[in-house]
Amino acid sequence: MPESVKFICLRCGHNFVADYTPKVVEERTCPKCGSNSVRRQKGKAAEKAAD
Amino acid sequence: MMDAGRHPRIELFTNSQVENVSGFVGNFNVTVRKKVRYVDEDACTACGECEVVCPVAVPDEYQEGFSSRKAIYIPFPQAVPSSYVLDMENCLGTNPIACGKCADACEKECIDYDAVDEVRELEVGAIVVATGMQPYDPTEMDEYGYTRFANVITSMEFERLICAGGPVEGHFIRPTDRKTPKSVAFIQCVGSRSLNRGVPYCSNICCMNTVKDTLLLHDHYPEMQNKVFYMDIRSFGKGFEDLYRRSKEAGVQYIRGLPGDIEEDPKTKNLYLTVENTLNGGVERHEVDMVVLAVGLVPRTDSEQIRQMLTLSQTSDGFVMEAHPKLQPVDAPTKGVYFAGCVESPKDIKDSVTQAGAAAARANILLNDREVRIEAITSIIHEEECNYCGRCVRVCPFHAITPANKKQGVFPKVVEAACSGCGTCAAECVTDCIDMRHFEDAQYYAQIEAILAEDPMQKIVAFACNWCSYAGGDNAGTSRLQYPANVRLIRTMCSGRVDEDFILHAFRKGAPMVLVSGCHFSDCHYIDAVTWTQQRVEKIWDKLEKKGIRPERLQLEWISAAEGQKFAKVMRELEKLRQAVTEEEVAFTVDLLIREQKPTPKRRTNRDTLALLN
Ligand SMILES: [Zn+2]
Repeated sequence: MPESVKFICLRCGHNFVADYTPKVVEERTCPKCGSNSVRRQKGKAAEKAAD
Repeated sequence: MMDAGRHPRIELFTNSQVENVSGFVGNFNVTVRKKVRYVDEDACTACGECEVVCPVAVPDEYQEGFSSRKAIYIPFPQAVPSSYVLDMENCLGTNPIACGKCADACEKECIDYDAVDEVRELEVGAIVVATGMQPYDPTEMDEYGYTRFANVITSMEFERLICAGGPVEGHFIRPTDRKTPKSVAFIQCVGSRSLNRGVPYCSNICCMNTVKDTLLLHDHYPEMQNKVFYMDIRSFGKGFEDLYRRSKEAGVQYIRGLPGDIEEDPKTKNLYLTVENTLNGGVERHEVDMVVLAVGLVPRTDSEQIRQMLTLSQTSDGFVMEAHPKLQPVDAPTKGVYFAGCVESPKDIKDSVTQAGAAAARANILLNDREVRIEAITSIIHEEECNYCGRCVRVCPFHAITPANKKQGVFPKVVEAACSGCGTCAAECVTDCIDMRHFEDAQYYAQIEAILAEDPMQKIVAFACNWCSYAGGDNAGTSRLQYPANVRLIRTMCSGRVDEDFILHAFRKGAPMVLVSGCHFSDCHYIDAVTWTQQRVEKIWDKLEKKGIRPERLQLEWISAAEGQKFAKVMRELEKLRQAVTEEEVAFTVDLLIREQKPTPKRRTNRDTLALLN
């Protein structure tokens, strides 16, 4: 089941939430700049982004 | 089909399913389940006595449900072999025998209720995939009322109604009153060329199929009024424009605009189409007796199974991907596998026949060669450094590496005929014991060092895959698009080849920015190698962050061969990011990575590789 997870774009710095299914590797695109340098936020970074 | 059935060197497996494919080019092992027919196809003379006595009647799938068939039946008039088959799902039952009338009626005694499936193992050298497509189901397009209004039918259903061998013997009638309609409307692009519902691509055949249908109707019923609602008629191809002209000359009305809505008169069952005519801008209402939806073609829902068995790539539209769209249009990326027909993309009969001929010829060339020729860019495993971890076996998209067994001292082995040279195994190998011919580690290290030998702060190191992103760079170049001149491309066959240490080595040598670029997931020429690239880059981002290096300095991008614009844009963005990288952070990175560097990896050279080969 997909879960909502926070991502950060390493090109433009945009934070966003998108569906993420563990163990499923998907092509990801930043909704703001269109870059594929999109990194899933984990641990503290994810909590920080939530604030 | 008849010719194939009679050919002495063709063994035809009908009513059969491929269950497994293993092996590689020239040595495929295929498991085929020949499903039980309960009728001896060699003995059956298709006399039809069994069908006469069968008490079961179910909708006939071939006739699109417009007529019924028995539980024992011949699927369609020209079926090969011309033999009956018993549909056990609808038969009244044979265990215990509930009816048994067909067996009693069969003089030849060719019905055997106890027959079972037959599983055959075949050894073949080449495989042609011709599994076709399926028509789009327009039920979801509620505005057209398909299944709500009986007089709205699909182009497939139209074929059955107009066919002399169809349920009404070609006397075209409308379903509600079984009378010949006075007017018929065709709606084009149903399910095609839509980003919201159906598929985004053009299904290729629907325009000419409709043009043909209008002419058929005109020939049979000159008084009938036919209207075609379209976006634009695509009549390229030999003789097609002429056919289109003839249709217009025959009085068929072509109205540019797709109806937004269809309503039914509850009494007459006539249909009202509301449409904006885009040629005059007016909103029109047309009354017709019947509507034919020109449905598009979509990949078969069960094609995934065959795709996985043969490790085939697929394009974003769901059809299988060729090894090269221009130079190897009927070859699969998996060697020894070829495509024919709509499994590759929607196409008409002529194109399907042409492609089938080409696929057969390609298979013939392969089988008549004494040796299989492969590109000399396969992987090599240096066994002395292998720790039997088996990662290479797991990541190989082509299943080209045989499993390791530590207990038995069996090293993984590259089946060179099956290896396509993506290099994912080499990049993922934890002991660095795999290398690739002509794309060796030593060559990459040399390129990185040469690029960064002078003014490293000014450079951007970009790894680009051969098929897509490197070609995207070419596209940008030939389109004369401007992008920063300090980008240095390093070509890999696949982005899957980009080893973690290549990236770290670039940073170690003072690169401010590194880019890994490859094909979009749906365009990957090495099935799913690109997914390993993404996972690897994600891990490196984590590692860089732990080391105190900004992960932003490693960028990832999927660029197709057609995306010259995107290539140039990405390079401009990278240059902006590069300008923000400080000399201090690069110095910190260099110092840290040099200190952390493992003992210099053995830089294999061509000579080492050649020695291994000899
Ligand atoms: Zn972005």
